[in-house]
Amino acid sequence: MAKEILKITGMHCAACSARVEKVVGKMEGVEKVSVNLATEKATVFFDPDTVSLSSIVEKIEKTGYVAVSFTEMTVVDEDKLRKEKEIQALWDKFIVSAFFAVPLLYIAMGPMIWWLNFPIPSFLAPMQYPLNYAIVQIALTLPILIAGRNFYTDGFRAIINRSPNMDSLIAMGTSAAVLYSSYSVYQITAGNFGAVDNMYFETAGVIITLILLGKSLEAVSKGKTSDAIKKLIGLAPKTAVVIKDNREYEVPIDEVETGYIILVRPGEKIPVDGVVLEGITSVDESMLTGESIPVEKKAGDQVYAASINKNGMIRFEASKVGGDTALAQIIKLVEEAQGSKAPIAKMADIVSGYFVPVVFVIAVLAAAAWLIAGESLVFSLTIFISVLVIACPCALGLATPTAIMVATGKGAEHGILIKGGEALETTHKIDTVIFDKTGTITEGRPEVTDVITVGEIGRNELLQLAASAEKGSEHPLAEAIVKKAEGGGQEMLAIDRFEAIPGYGIEVEIGGRNILLGNSRLMDIRNISRTELSDRSDTLAGEGKTPMYVAADGKLAGIIAVADVVKSSSIDAINMLRSMGIEVAMITGDNRRTAEAIAKQVGITRVLSEVLPQDKSNEVKKLQAEGKKVAMVGDGINDAPALVQADIGIAIGSGTDVAIESADIVLMRSDLMGVPAAVRLSKSTIRNIKQNLFWAFGYNVIGIPIAAGFFHLFGGPLLNPIFAAAAMSLSSVSVLTNALRLKSFRPLG
Amino acid sequence: MKNRIAVIISASIVIFGLLIYTLATTDPTDVIGNRSITSFNAVLSAMPGYVGKDGASGGWAITSPLGERFIWGRNTDPGKSYDLTLEFDMKPFLDAGLDPEKLPEGMVKGDKIVIVSELDGDRPADPDETSPQELFSEILRSKREYISYHTALDHFGIKIGDGNVFEWAKDMGTNDKDIVFVLDPAVFIEAGADPEKVEGWLYAKVKTMDGSGRPIEIYKFLKPYNIVE
Repeated sequence: MAKEILKITGMHCAACSARVEKVVGKMEGVEKVSVNLATEKATVFFDPDTVSLSSIVEKIEKTGYVAVSFTEMTVVDEDKLRKEKEIQALWDKFIVSAFFAVPLLYIAMGPMIWWLNFPIPSFLAPMQYPLNYAIVQIALTLPILIAGRNFYTDGFRAIINRSPNMDSLIAMGTSAAVLYSSYSVYQITAGNFGAVDNMYFETAGVIITLILLGKSLEAVSKGKTSDAIKKLIGLAPKTAVVIKDNREYEVPIDEVETGYIILVRPGEKIPVDGVVLEGITSVDESMLTGESIPVEKKAGDQVYAASINKNGMIRFEASKVGGDTALAQIIKLVEEAQGSKAPIAKMADIVSGYFVPVVFVIAVLAAAAWLIAGESLVFSLTIFISVLVIACPCALGLATPTAIMVATGKGAEHGILIKGGEALETTHKIDTVIFDKTGTITEGRPEVTDVITVGEIGRNELLQLAASAEKGSEHPLAEAIVKKAEGGGQEMLAIDRFEAIPGYGIEVEIGGRNILLGNSRLMDIRNISRTELSDRSDTLAGEGKTPMYVAADGKLAGIIAVADVVKSSSIDAINMLRSMGIEVAMITGDNRRTAEAIAKQVGITRVLSEVLPQDKSNEVKKLQAEGKKVAMVGDGINDAPALVQADIGIAIGSGTDVAIESADIVLMRSDLMGVPAAVRLSKSTIRNIKQNLFWAFGYNVIGIPIAAGFFHLFGGPLLNPIFAAAAMSLSSVSVLTNALRLKSFRPLG
Repeated sequence: MKNRIAVIISASIVIFGLLIYTLATTDPTDVIGNRSITSFNAVLSAMPGYVGKDGASGGWAITSPLGERFIWGRNTDPGKSYDLTLEFDMKPFLDAGLDPEKLPEGMVKGDKIVIVSELDGDRPADPDETSPQELFSEILRSKREYISYHTALDHFGIKIGDGNVFEWAKDMGTNDKDIVFVLDPAVFIEAGADPEKVEGWLYAKVKTMDGSGRPIEIYKFLKPYNIVE
């Protein structure tokens, strides 16, 4: 199954995006398609053996839109330029139409607002020179119609394609006004001078102008919703200084390849990802992690593209370039999230799909009903136009994606990468958060605190054997032992055999000796007595340390205790979650006493200890079976199944790739405050989406009956089509403005 | 792009200016003016026996079957240009209590009341050598603002001043009020006439517009005639 992202242009409302989804979704070989109106992107999953990308593009273009494959980052720049051009073109059209609409409105409405005494030239007085009056109105209306010609070309094409959209409503409404006015002009030339009262050119002109204004504001606001992506893209430097044959060359970033040696001076941006070869410096990685304190870097440390080298000169070897850099991955992740749909959008999508035809039917029925009831043709026409113009599916279409765009962008700014609309929506429902212990609640950089021996093996030898056994392991506890041994200048011994026993420890052969290293259960299953050290082990565990038993040739040899430091933010994050009414639990493979000691430090009462890696997901399942919405926070490979099983998996950015891949949310910093921040962001976003949907639905629910004259039946107001157009434009702008409020989101309130 | 917009707007201003100038200075688009002449000519043609020279003023006059007259032509005073005049019997107003002494000076002419509108401008062609149609057309061309269209009755009207109008049907074939003498009652009421008691004149409210274009309903004396059945 292939996945392709297509850039779709020419969509103006939710009906358009729904149409593209419907048309492409029906194609044989297309598994799934999701079209996002706000980002103007379609994500298509298809079987390349059954259907080609070109045929999908062709199908979309036949429907009346332009589709382009969206792959490289350079396209993003082109897209940005195209959007800027689009915004400029809309403004230009608005300026031209406003230039003509103002005098048109003045001439048309001035005589009606007699109490304001607007001076009108005598040769344009409607009751004296009706044809002059009409000709001037036509002359002023034509440029406006030309400026808004896309409404007609796109709107009528959509009708021909049996997929009417917002443009169709505008085209039909204003065309009705223009055609009827033209007929009135004909009546004037035929001698029916009273027809001068039945001209609605200004209605059409002002509607087009207001909608162009609304579209311009909408385009600007839409642009702002993707500011986060633009900022991220803008972070990437354009060139790099490459060292070759001891000479420095400044080369475009696109020409940098892995393995190149790159020089970065103080104050410069690091151009690609790599590993430091020489030099010591501190690097500001805040643009990637949100962490404002610069990170010390020395030989062997990883550096990331777009981070800023603060005070030292370094040389590093490029390890990831182009689309493989962490920055490019983040951009991709955020873009995919912004293009994704939240379940809450589904209802709006369904409504939008039926919206335009239903509105058209309502307009015809309302106009016919008034005509039958004895009102004039002019009155019925006004009703018809008002209903068509006020009904605005575009606010419905924008309500959800714009909020998601702003929220995911805002999350990225704070180092919280949310992988999609669904994750963003589900997070607000979370009522239980399970934290992994090591590397999540704790720093994940444990240190050896105690080495206790029994029998003939001495302290140093025990440490050497344990370190040699753990040398190949990436487990934080293993790393602590290796680090301790190396720090003591001990050499690592060659390993003849290595076997990991998940959840228990390891078994190795070193120089003909069988070494077991692991928890008490490992000793128990191998029938090794640990009586001599069990009290010491309990004491160490009670201090929050992790005691690891070492056995040599079937006999207990000692305990190596390792302790991990609780992260400074863990207590605050857990307190904040609890204050939000969220239950917090800790899960660990560690022994109960150690786990409880750590849990006590951070204020967690529900502790799931001695859980085997494969059982972590079962513990999540158990909580889910209790009806809980569970978020799992972890960093290791062993957390991946639980991250997937949880309703929301949250990976710590410092964790393994597998964990990050399995998670719905990635915290770029190792700071647990990102968890309550993500929940708060989700709650704010969902609240914002609900407000948007309320306004978009409410606006139509109230607006359409008013426009149809329902309230007029009971002496209530009747809507002028011009006010209908203004209200319609305002609805989209208000939804966007509300979504943009999320830009002021602060993670800590 | 901004230059392009400036060019579009500048060109539009020029084109629009030319259009406005053309409309302001040419007649073909003056459908009311043009059609009013045609209709007036039709009225004259429909009642040839009622149209003739007005000896006193030297202009042309249309006389209603009951004797009211609308006169268009030049004033006898050679120093003046031409006048529009409505002339009708004073008797019904006297019977309704009118005190002729209280009417403004010049309105009483024997047993007639005359309402005159003195028009500025060049002296028109000599009526002796000009047909009534040509003379009316000439007046209209130079004093176009005196012509109006009355939507409710589908009438054209020529203002005689102070709310007094002579109206004629745009299309006599479809209108049952082919010509109408319209008088403003205020001056008669001030001079003692009871408007409800003026015989032969209909005292009724009519829809019109005031000077600022506000739609209003005001009382008028109306005397309509159906010339063409």
